[in-house]
Amino acid sequence: MATGITIKGLVKRFGDKTIIDHVSFDIAVGELVCLLGPSGCGKTTTLRCIAGLEAPEEGRIEINGQPVFDSAEKLAVEPYRRNAGMVFQSYAIWPHLSVFENVAFPLRVRNTPNAEVEKKVMRTLDMVGLADFRARSAQQLSGGQQQRVAVARAIVHEPDVLLFDEPLSNLDARLRDATRAEIRRLQRELNVAAVYVTHDQAEALSLADRILVMSEGRIHQAGTPQEIYGAPRDAFVADVVGATNFLDIAVHAVGDGTVQGVAPDGAPLRVTGRMAAPGPARVMVRPDRLRVAPDAGEQGENCLHGTVRQRLFMGGHYEYAIAIGPTVLRAFSPVQVAEGGRVTVSFEPCDCIVLETRGAP
Amino acid sequence: MSASDAAIEMRAPARGSSAAAIRAIFIVTFAITAFLIVTPLVALLYGSFRTGGPGTNATYTFDNWRGLLEPAILDTLLITLFISIVTSLFSSAFGGAMAWLTYRTDFRFKRALVAAIGLSFFFPGFILAMAWVILGSPGGVLNAFLSEVFGIDSEPFDIYSVAGIIWIQVLHITPFAFFTLRGPLSSMDASLEEAAYASGANPWQVARRVTMPLMIFPLLSSLLLCFVLSVEQFAVPAMVGIPGHVNTLATELYLLISFSPPNTGLAAAVGLAMSAVTGLSIFIQRRVVHRRNAPTVTGKGYRLHMLRLGRWRGLAEILCLLYALLSFIIPTIALLYTSGIKFFVANPFEAAWTWRNYVQIWESPGTVRSLINTLIVAGGGAVLGLTLGTLIAYSTHRLRPRGFRALDVLASLPFGIPGIVIGLGFLWSYVWLPIYGTLWVLIFCYVARFLPYATETVGAQVVQLDKSLEEAAWTSGAGRVASFRRIMLPLLRPALQSGYFLLFIAYFREIAAAALIYTSKTEVLSISIWSFFENANWGVASALSVVTTVITVSLMVAMTRAPLKL
Repeated sequence: MATGITIKGLVKRFGDKTIIDHVSFDIAVGELVCLLGPSGCGKTTTLRCIAGLEAPEEGRIEINGQPVFDSAEKLAVEPYRRNAGMVFQSYAIWPHLSVFENVAFPLRVRNTPNAEVEKKVMRTLDMVGLADFRARSAQQLSGGQQQRVAVARAIVHEPDVLLFDEPLSNLDARLRDATRAEIRRLQRELNVAAVYVTHDQAEALSLADRILVMSEGRIHQAGTPQEIYGAPRDAFVADVVGATNFLDIAVHAVGDGTVQGVAPDGAPLRVTGRMAAPGPARVMVRPDRLRVAPDAGEQGENCLHGTVRQRLFMGGHYEYAIAIGPTVLRAFSPVQVAEGGRVTVSFEPCDCIVLETRGAP
Repeated sequence: MSASDAAIEMRAPARGSSAAAIRAIFIVTFAITAFLIVTPLVALLYGSFRTGGPGTNATYTFDNWRGLLEPAILDTLLITLFISIVTSLFSSAFGGAMAWLTYRTDFRFKRALVAAIGLSFFFPGFILAMAWVILGSPGGVLNAFLSEVFGIDSEPFDIYSVAGIIWIQVLHITPFAFFTLRGPLSSMDASLEEAAYASGANPWQVARRVTMPLMIFPLLSSLLLCFVLSVEQFAVPAMVGIPGHVNTLATELYLLISFSPPNTGLAAAVGLAMSAVTGLSIFIQRRVVHRRNAPTVTGKGYRLHMLRLGRWRGLAEILCLLYALLSFIIPTIALLYTSGIKFFVANPFEAAWTWRNYVQIWESPGTVRSLINTLIVAGGGAVLGLTLGTLIAYSTHRLRPRGFRALDVLASLPFGIPGIVIGLGFLWSYVWLPIYGTLWVLIFCYVARFLPYATETVGAQVVQLDKSLEEAAWTSGAGRVASFRRIMLPLLRPALQSGYFLLFIAYFREIAAAALIYTSKTEVLSISIWSFFENANWGVASALSVVTTVITVSLMVAMTRAPLKL
């Protein structure tokens, strides 16, 4: 597959603080990659470097195989010559222009003939469902509509890359879900490389072909949403992509792809992962992968016994806090057990992953 | 253009050719600003160590600085400080009280009061001073009135005095205090006061224990600002102080230069000493402004709880009406009256009415030229001043290249330099240049003097505009210049309009900076009015003042009514 964006050894510093620390990755044409991480991890700065709004200290950036930045060659193409389309967190809709003129702007500055501007803008406004709003002033639009104008403006000139800087963070939850699907569809249709910055794991999981989890200016883990969610490298990644449980276990046998050990309550465990040698380990299991049942006294592998501390009704399921020895596990289950009741909690070996400890306690 | 074409073209400079162009624009802006503001100051510093003025056989000396300690100068300093402190206290008290009435109470005529204060804000100080001479001088209207109606012949009103200067300055400076304090008062977080009410405090306790303490920094800022405006005030002490032999530093400096033999060195030293006082005050004032912003101002648009004045309301309304009468309405009537009579008599029933004074404006070539000069300086000069101010504001708030802080400091320096002192600096430094004696000197001088008006007005708007508005234009494919023109300029339009208006009015009525640098060919309206007045031609002076006021007020009305977007 052709490469849409290539980044090699990107370094960005503000003063003596390193914001991006030797980041490299490729994005294929047609691929949507999410940069996911807590605030301050360097994800937005990376995006702005691709757009040309920040000048990195080191590294090389290519768009469709052409260099747009190279520190060694002292090359820095201005943002307006990178043929990118960018959606800003604040939308940046120009208040002095109508909806039509906001979307037409990228075409106007490229001296596109009027007839073509009309055709392309209307087609794009149609795509985002705003054709009836063309004459409106941008200030008369709701947040969701402004967001769609911003998307239309970013795609109207058929850019080589699409850049999204937390585009949904100012929308309410319901609108966010609808717009997410919309962005995915548009990006598929345009078939361009897209970078999507977010700190919302649900957004990243549902949108991305690939997720790059960033932390302290580095790519901490890269992979498909399924890989990142199902097999996080360590506690940091596990936490960033969703609610999870951590268990500290004692491993006594290391196999090929699985290890065996003992849970805090003494139950025997078999979990997925590789370790060099037996010893203490930290594992994680997602709350939705835990099976909860009233305690019927059964014993066996991956079967823990505990007490319901708290139960919250969430509509589709209950959210349980279950005390197992000193550890409290969160579990999502439709099964109904009263607070204070004894339960067994079990899971499949493939759903429980050994994490790298990285010096964690 | 594809990325590859761009790449080849952009290879040479580190951040692209348009970044180089931006850099060049910044350097040029910096150089012009530095030249305009540093040159006169350096000239003053140099002059303060010279025994004579430019072009004379002078040597170096410390006598000028020693001269500051002579009793005459020290007396002037003390009188200036006394006048300024008293003016500042009264102006801030009146301005603050009226702002409080307008924004925190159920005062009934808020719009009328704000309009009246706006009018007196734009009413030129030298015209106000002239009107009060007509009203309050010995032989003036008020004394004649007392004599005719009550038989009091002792002429108790004497405007040519320290009290007279303070009286006119308080009327003139009160609007500045009003406009300084109304922002903090109207944008104060309502929940702070509501919490006090909820805790059981009555309205007066809330005002005393919550509102006042929160207003300490704005009040301090207003006091300092009014103090500076008073120290640098030239028109009022020139018109009522000089005839009464009461000098402030500003008029002292003027007299040192205008009466032969001129003592330019001492004048320069006095000017720098004055600038030290005003500059230090402005420096403190700006620190205070930064301090206050955080706790009181929030973006929430809650309706404020308006204090009910009860039986005090009528009294408050009468006092505010009185301010409008004294600061604008009665002076205007006095001017209209004087401009319409042949010879000045205090009693209108004995007056001989005439259009002669107005006719004389158009028939005298000197007056017509001075009107044209004023329109050129105000109309054209304001374009230059606004352009420079916009470049500076955009550089210091948005581009922020290396050295932008220095530019920011440079551009705000004129805040702390009195007009008469800038005028003296230009007199010294431009005497060598071929533009000396042309309107350019006046224009440059005004651009420098009122530069902060432009940078503050435009800068406030630049800060309001989210950075991404411009970035979105870049990523859409518009170059820096195109995005500035198509996005920034339209969005800045309201600020540019009001900035132009402010500069136009300021240039139009400026007298302090012009007093030393005008020549017979470059006389402007303010100077003409002053000289007619000094030559006891009150009629023509009043007629010209009426014309000036009509132009100013109609501009003000036009600008506040004009649709701000296009």
